[in-house]
Amino acid sequence: MTNSMRVVAIGVVAFLSQACDSTPPTPRQTDGTVSREPAPPPPAESPKVPPTPPGKTVPREGEQPSRDASQKPTAPTRDTPRTTPPVPAAAPRTAPPRAEPTPAAPPPAAPAPTAPPPTESHTSPAPSTQTPATTLRAAAPQTAQAPSAPTPTAPPKAAPLDLGSLEQRLRDTKAIGVFTKLSLKNQVDDLLEQFREFHKSRDQSMLSRLRQTYDLLLLKVLSLLQDGDPALARDVSSSREALWGILVDPDKFKNL
Amino acid sequence: MSGRTKVRGSIGAAAIVMAGAGPALAADDPAVLKDLTAVIALQGQPCGQVVTATKQGENDYAVACKDGSKYRVFVNPDGRVVVQKQ
Repeated sequence: MTNSMRVVAIGVVAFLSQACDSTPPTPRQTDGTVSREPAPPPPAESPKVPPTPPGKTVPREGEQPSRDASQKPTAPTRDTPRTTPPVPAAAPRTAPPRAEPTPAAPPPAAPAPTAPPPTESHTSPAPSTQTPATTLRAAAPQTAQAPSAPTPTAPPKAAPLDLGSLEQRLRDTKAIGVFTKLSLKNQVDDLLEQFREFHKSRDQSMLSRLRQTYDLLLLKVLSLLQDGDPALARDVSSSREALWGILVDPDKFKNL
Repeated sequence: MSGRTKVRGSIGAAAIVMAGAGPALAADDPAVLKDLTAVIALQGQPCGQVVTATKQGENDYAVACKDGSKYRVFVNPDGRVVVQKQ
């Protein structure tokens, strides 16, 4: 029994050896499952491969020459993940190269996702900040132009102020009753007295209060004139700033 | 004839005396009412509109406003218009 077993075993070994010697050339290269076969074929073929490609020796160790020749740059990384599950023995060999590509892969992948957001964020704020800037820049000329528009309307206000004529017209107008004129004159006198104190003390804090009183008094006069004597009301209104200028100027105020 | 003329003259004189002697006279002139309304408003007093005004003297009126308030409006010796609530 033992002899027969030995004979059978030797026969099997011889068959296998013959089978291995006869198959290697072509069929193994075309199969996608060649990686399942043990290492023997690669070492036998490895001496043939080195002469053809001058550089890159690391990826060739774990792969067959045909693959190395056809897919040097990208194939190793792509094929290794596919072949790793079926071949446990090849895993340790391919593991180092995988570890290298995997770290290499994440960096490009990581920058890729991260890069777009920053670029988008940078780009999006940039236009946003640019747009306000441009709008502000655009608004600046508009605002600069806006004041220029009212200026043409300003000249009418520059009409010469005839204080005596205005005073006489106020005395003669029938739009205001005698009692009311007398009451207005009292208030005008009160305001003039406050201006005298202002020019004596030169206290600038009084100026805002005086302006308020002046505006209120003028508003009263205008409200009284607007219905009965609209022309005089218009002239008084247009003389508002000129009158204020006379009241504020000490020299002009003395000449009143 | 002479008696009738005497009667007529006495009646006219009495009317003149009564008109001039009365201390208070109603001022129904709309211009006066409007003027008094403006004066009260200028003084910052509540009134709305003067409905009646009674002249009590030279530049002296007692007025009644639409809102029921009453004032004396007059010019004091200093020449100032005064609105005095009654």
